[in-house]
This record gives sequence, C-alpha cells and structure tokens, in this order.
Amino acid sequence: MEIQKLEGVTVISTDERLDAMIAPKLKETVKKMSEDASTKLIIDLGKTKFIDSSGCGALVAALRTLLKNHGDLKIARPSPQAKTLFQLTRLHRVFEIHENLEDAIKSFVK
Amino acid sequence: MGQELYIKIELKAEMFLLRPLDAFVRSLINQLPAFSGNENSVDNMELVFNEAYSNISRHAYKSAEKGPVKIEIFVKDDMLEIRLEDHGEKFNPSEVMEPDFQNLGESGLGIWLMKQFVDDLLYESGECGSNVLRLVKRIPAENVFFPCGCLE
Repeated sequence: MEIQKLEGVTVISTDERLDAMIAPKLKETVKKMSEDASTKLIIDLGKTKFIDSSGCGALVAALRTLLKNHGDLKIARPSPQAKTLFQLTRLHRVFEIHENLEDAIKSFVK
Repeated sequence: MGQELYIKIELKAEMFLLRPLDAFVRSLINQLPAFSGNENSVDNMELVFNEAYSNISRHAYKSAEKGPVKIEIFVKDDMLEIRLEDHGEKFNPSEVMEPDFQNLGESGLGIWLMKQFVDDLLYESGECGSNVLRLVKRIPAENVFFPCGCLE
C-alpha cells in the first residue's frame, strides 16, 4: 500500500489484493488520515486484481469515516473483478468511480 | 465413464494461509477446461473459496488458536464442488439476510456473495458434529470439464 499526495489530494494505491489480510490496515490508515478535517482521498485500485468482501467493507468504512469529518473518498481504476463486485453490491452507486487517476484528481481539484 | 479429480488439504485455519490457498485454488480452477480463459468465472470461484475459508478462520474459530479445516475439491464432468469442514462455531447460512444495499455495512457480505456465484450452497453437520460447507458449481453440458481427457 503506497500513499502519496498529488495536487492536495491523498492517493492510497492498494497492492495486488485488497482482502481480509489487508483490510484492517486500510481502515486504520484512513481513520488516522480523517483526523485532519476535509481529507480528500482517492483509493487507486490500479494494481489491485482481487477484492473480497472485507476489502469492500474497508472501502465502505473509509468513506463513512471521511464523511464524518467532512472529507470525501473516490475510487480510481477498478479492475474488472472489482467492477463486478461493486455492481453486485450496488457500491457503484455509493462511490464515485473513475477510470483513471487523473480524472479522479481533477474531480477533487475543479 | 466420466473422469474425476479429487484433492484434499487438511490444515489449521490460519489467516496467513488465506492467500497461498487462494492462489492454489485459482490456479487449479484455471487449469480446468470449463474455466480456462474465462477470467470472470475464475475470479468468482476464487472469491467463493476466499470468503468460505476466511469465514472459518475469522468467525468459526474466533480465538487466536485456530482449529482444523479440511478442504476438499471435487471435479466431475459437469460439476465443481469445494467442500470445507471445520469444528468451530456453527452458523446457519439460510438465516443470513440479504444485505441492506441502501445502507451497506462494513461486514456481512461474504455468505451472500458466495451464494451469487454457486448453484448450491449447503451447510451440513459432518462426523463428530463438524460443520461442512459445500459449494457446488454446475457446468453447462457444452462446457464439461474433461472434453479432451486433459487429466488422463
């Protein structure tokens, strides 16, 4: 999991798998970030080939934590497997999802 | 006469084994002609296994000391079955409610997701009161598993 700041937006790039092994770490990381009010966060799934229900749960938790502190979360570059899961679980209606990272950043900056 | 494949793995249901086991199951399913080249179906079956194993490790065996799990994979001409047997806390999958999609929680999706990708999800009592989860995926006749005797 890599974290960087681009144009005032925090980007977390998740590894190959966003599963029950890593979901608690993602939740904890976002919780700490949310202590700064109005955190703008993008979870970049570009490298992530596999997400399970714990991964989805971590994304939901991250969004809730940020919204409570006037921040926001957007998703970038989901894999076909992630898209299938988001559609099944209707999470594609919950998250703002972008096909590339640049668009996701622009959507915060504009 | 149909051909068959049977694999059995017995181990402690440790979480750190989730990824190696996922990788093995994925690789195996990817070798089956009915799934080979169909990334979406392979993804789905990997997810089914992942959720089942993860549930046992985290929920059936809640304490740090994990109990045993027996993983069996059966492949027949027209069917793939993944069976997981544990001796942990029982649950009733039929009582698992459909998720509230208007207000999705941070957990509780696993069983529902498994049901989306298999034809049968059966939860039975095994020997000595064990819990047996059977996940059955049927294959349409045109996609039978061993059309060319690939495992001969």
